[in-house]
Amino acid sequence: MTADLGKAELLDLYRGMLVIRRTEEQLAKSHQAGLIPGPCHTYVGQEAVATGVCANLRPDDVVFSTHRGHGHALAKGVSPRELIAELFGRVTGVSRGRGGSMHLFSPEVGLMGTSGIVGPCILQAAGAAYTFQLLKSDRVSVAFFGDGAVSNGAFHEGLNMAAIWQLPVLFVCENNMYATEVPFAYAARNTDVASRGAAYGMTAVSVDGNDVRAVYAAAQAAVQQARAGGGPTLLECRTYRTRSHAEGMRDAGYRTREEVEAWKARDPLPGLRENVIAEGTATAGDFEAIDAEVKALVEEAAAFAQASAWPDPATAQRYVFSERGGAAHA
Amino acid sequence: MREMTFVEATREALAAAMEIDPTIFVMGEGIGVRGGNFMTTLGLYEKFGPERLRDTPISERGFVGLCTGAAMAGARPVVDFMFVDFILDAMGELINQMAKVQYMTSGRLKLPMILRGAIGIGNSAATHHSGSYYPTFVNVPGFRVVVPSTPHDAKGLFATALEGDDPVFFLEHKALLYSKGPVPEEHYTIPFGQARIAQAGRDVTVVALSVMVKKTLEAAEALAAEGLSVEVIDPRTLAPLDMPAILQSVHKTGRLLIVDEWFGPCGIGAEIAAQVMDQAFDDLDAPVRRLNGAHTPTPYSPPLEAALIPNVAAIAQAIRDLAAE
Amino acid sequence: MAVEIVMPRFGWTMEEGLLAEWTKKDGEAVAVGEVLFTVESDKALNEVESFETGVLRIPPGSPPPGSVVKVGALLAYIVQPGEAAPFEAEAAVSLAVAVQGREQAEAAHPAKPPARSVEPVGKRAISPRARRVAAELGVDFTQLGGSGHTGRIIERDIRAASAKRPAPAEVRASPLARRAAAELGVNLEHLAASRPGRRLERADVEAAAQAATQAPSMADRPSLPITAARRVIAERMMAGAHTTAPVTLTTEVDATELVRLRAQLKNDPAAAAQPIPSYTDLMAKLVAHALGEHPALNAGLEGAAGGPVHIGLAVDTERGLLVPVLRDVATKGVRQIAQAAAALIARARAGQLTADEMRGSTFTLTNLGMYEIDAFTPIINLPECAILGLGRIVAKQVVVDAAAERVAIRQMMFVSLTFDHRRIDGAPAARGLQRIKQLIEQPYLWLVT
Repeated sequence: MTADLGKAELLDLYRGMLVIRRTEEQLAKSHQAGLIPGPCHTYVGQEAVATGVCANLRPDDVVFSTHRGHGHALAKGVSPRELIAELFGRVTGVSRGRGGSMHLFSPEVGLMGTSGIVGPCILQAAGAAYTFQLLKSDRVSVAFFGDGAVSNGAFHEGLNMAAIWQLPVLFVCENNMYATEVPFAYAARNTDVASRGAAYGMTAVSVDGNDVRAVYAAAQAAVQQARAGGGPTLLECRTYRTRSHAEGMRDAGYRTREEVEAWKARDPLPGLRENVIAEGTATAGDFEAIDAEVKALVEEAAAFAQASAWPDPATAQRYVFSERGGAAHA
Repeated sequence: MREMTFVEATREALAAAMEIDPTIFVMGEGIGVRGGNFMTTLGLYEKFGPERLRDTPISERGFVGLCTGAAMAGARPVVDFMFVDFILDAMGELINQMAKVQYMTSGRLKLPMILRGAIGIGNSAATHHSGSYYPTFVNVPGFRVVVPSTPHDAKGLFATALEGDDPVFFLEHKALLYSKGPVPEEHYTIPFGQARIAQAGRDVTVVALSVMVKKTLEAAEALAAEGLSVEVIDPRTLAPLDMPAILQSVHKTGRLLIVDEWFGPCGIGAEIAAQVMDQAFDDLDAPVRRLNGAHTPTPYSPPLEAALIPNVAAIAQAIRDLAAE
Repeated sequence: MAVEIVMPRFGWTMEEGLLAEWTKKDGEAVAVGEVLFTVESDKALNEVESFETGVLRIPPGSPPPGSVVKVGALLAYIVQPGEAAPFEAEAAVSLAVAVQGREQAEAAHPAKPPARSVEPVGKRAISPRARRVAAELGVDFTQLGGSGHTGRIIERDIRAASAKRPAPAEVRASPLARRAAAELGVNLEHLAASRPGRRLERADVEAAAQAATQAPSMADRPSLPITAARRVIAERMMAGAHTTAPVTLTTEVDATELVRLRAQLKNDPAAAAQPIPSYTDLMAKLVAHALGEHPALNAGLEGAAGGPVHIGLAVDTERGLLVPVLRDVATKGVRQIAQAAAALIARARAGQLTADEMRGSTFTLTNLGMYEIDAFTPIINLPECAILGLGRIVAKQVVVDAAAERVAIRQMMFVSLTFDHRRIDGAPAARGLQRIKQLIEQPYLWLVT
């Protein structure tokens, strides 16, 4: 199912995916160079999901994500500068150096957190949707999680509550077939994630997660349904990460080279580019211009991050409680 | 002044706050139409409707996590968990999520959320319905922990919780829920971190928690007849804890006993003792003592249950022993 | 432009890896995604893929396969076809950046307050409260019995003993004995308590002083005797702490210019033979300047404020704290002060100070920076009304331009002024301290009279 998208929207989708791709490659390089003190779970290969979903969201919609969250952060509006600086631990990072990769927060653009624990984002997204419903706004919330979260209690309890109360939330499962090194086929007897929707009485769809237009169309329908009060959707996007679970971890032993190569051949970026050029909607030159622009953007972002200051240790104990609440517990 | 029960006092504060703040909603099992297992929300469903008095399936982790997200998005959820033992299923959501949001976002997100419900031993509720667990919550940075002992304090502290921006555990001992006391009609708040001197005295300071305040006051009355003057302090909130009040009292009396129904190891008494020893070492005329419930799961049979918790006689004897030190 | 290929980091704790083998050769073309080399780390063999397309150039000095290489070390370059490789380039490693950041983050915080010293007194147990009350009332509890449960001496025992003692006016002693007691630091009340009914003579006082200063062998007396000098220090500290209304103000000062000044003085060839002015010497000079503008902080006997500035220097000696006095500091140059101070300190340590050299100070300086102390609450040296404590000078990252969000490394120092609030108010004291801060931050201002 392909959505009706014009040249500008298609180039935007390409650009969105490319920003993620180049930023993740930069982070991988920086991690190897020792500039990232903590963990870094890259999103290379899955760009179509974050981009296709977030293209349907307004700035005041909200997104809750998981440990592999850089793509969602960038797609929702966090700049490459803020993302890279955060992973470098600098005060100019999106979480002011307090979070690193797995605790990215930018409520100003609706990014309500990536998380180092699998599962809570599902519940929190349902919770934000609850608030939107309670306050009678038409905002929607989105949870991004992987196949690993499908076996977690939070999935069950969250989807159930979202369904009984018809909450305006999208549950986007990026099924990349592995949770770290555990195949989804091992963790679940029923590997059809979308089929679980029926168990909760919820709309559920499964799409090719490497086809950004298919993701866009499915997400568009789900967002419209949610905004109109029609309740939640479980959106399974079948995709693949072509780098290891986390930078610095081995990529061999649990999957074959051939499998990785086969998915690289379905790379969402050239996938979109070649189709759009073949359809005549845009030219190679249009894409090359975007390539150059994004390359410069990410290079500048990396330089900015490296030149940025460290957070002041004297601030390390602030914000445990709201400042309005007075001094912290003695 | 009119008298009302502890539960009625919190209900009054809740209803008043819900009237003016449309972002407050209550979530929990049986708190909707039924009005709550302990009548915590009696009559509110008819007033405010099902969206604001939301009955939940048995999904403690689920609705605690959901309410965390709701608070992040601008609402003020009140999780009515009934028995604190049930909330343990949500420990991950409480400690890894709720407690850390403000810190992780450098204050750009607030987390105004209340978790209220019953704690404490009694009536043979046995081991899955008798817990308190507050040292765990006090130990984690990011929580406020409130343990009122009177209806007056319950209303004022609940009102404060409903206006704040931090996550609050509001822990109500079962044996206190239907106790009566004077409660002013007007709206008032009691700040966190402010202890109450339940009774002034000269010879021994006793810090008592929750239901132990009443029992200690009874013990103190008996000891007054023996010529012992006991100062009883009700901290009212454990995080933040009013150490200056305790230190001031120890400066006066030189002797400190902490009475707590919950376990001794790593408990609130241990924390108070360590702080007093650190900051008021030269004021101590005797070692700091603690009187706690026994460090065991809670049994069912009444004589067994009673054997585990400090009663008035045990409290009195502990005070006597400390005075003789 | 040449892209550096370095030893990558696999896993969070990896510090070095074994370069197993190159899968591409020097001069060979590489494409994005192709494996360049393999690394053995911990238990796994890792393939390192290229992020660039170009030509691999391995410098002659590059670590050979089989060697263990630090993470971040340069191994090779990828250049464009026809481009020369920068083989003369040093192994530029940016790993240091991350390490440096961590080190800065681990830099020491302001120190905790110094531990209270506890005076050990024999084996009888005594509650801390009783010990405190005994000090306040001046009760010697070494011979007392305890009514506490374990035989512990408790507060009521001290109060009872205090009530039984003769009042100070009742101590009978000859005038010579009284003067000797003042000079030698012997407490007449204590002495009288151990010689009840007798009028004290000078010989009694001298004997008591001598007994106190003798150091017994560790074998026969495990506890430390209280020397006469210690008693004097103890009584003066008690008086400074409890008869004044002490308030301590602390401020963090940018001492970068002061550090520069001292370096210049140190490197001045014309003064090579003279003692190098210490920071305390420099501080004495500028404090004297500040006191000229804030005379209320400069007090002598009988509370007369203003007048010449005589600065007491707190000196640590084997016998305890001594405070020799630098006279007329405002009229002296920094080199003179340095010389005078060096001489006083040497005499203090040798036990050769005269009573005159220890009298008449109008302000005191105490410096604990050499012990890595950041800040502390000095006790007023009566009859003065203020004392300045100096902390250590430590390089810190500080904000130099908040609007531009710029930081720099500066030499920072805490100074703490304890003042007697009975005689001076907070605002004037704060202004005086602020002036001292300005003079530290801009030392050339002393040139202006």
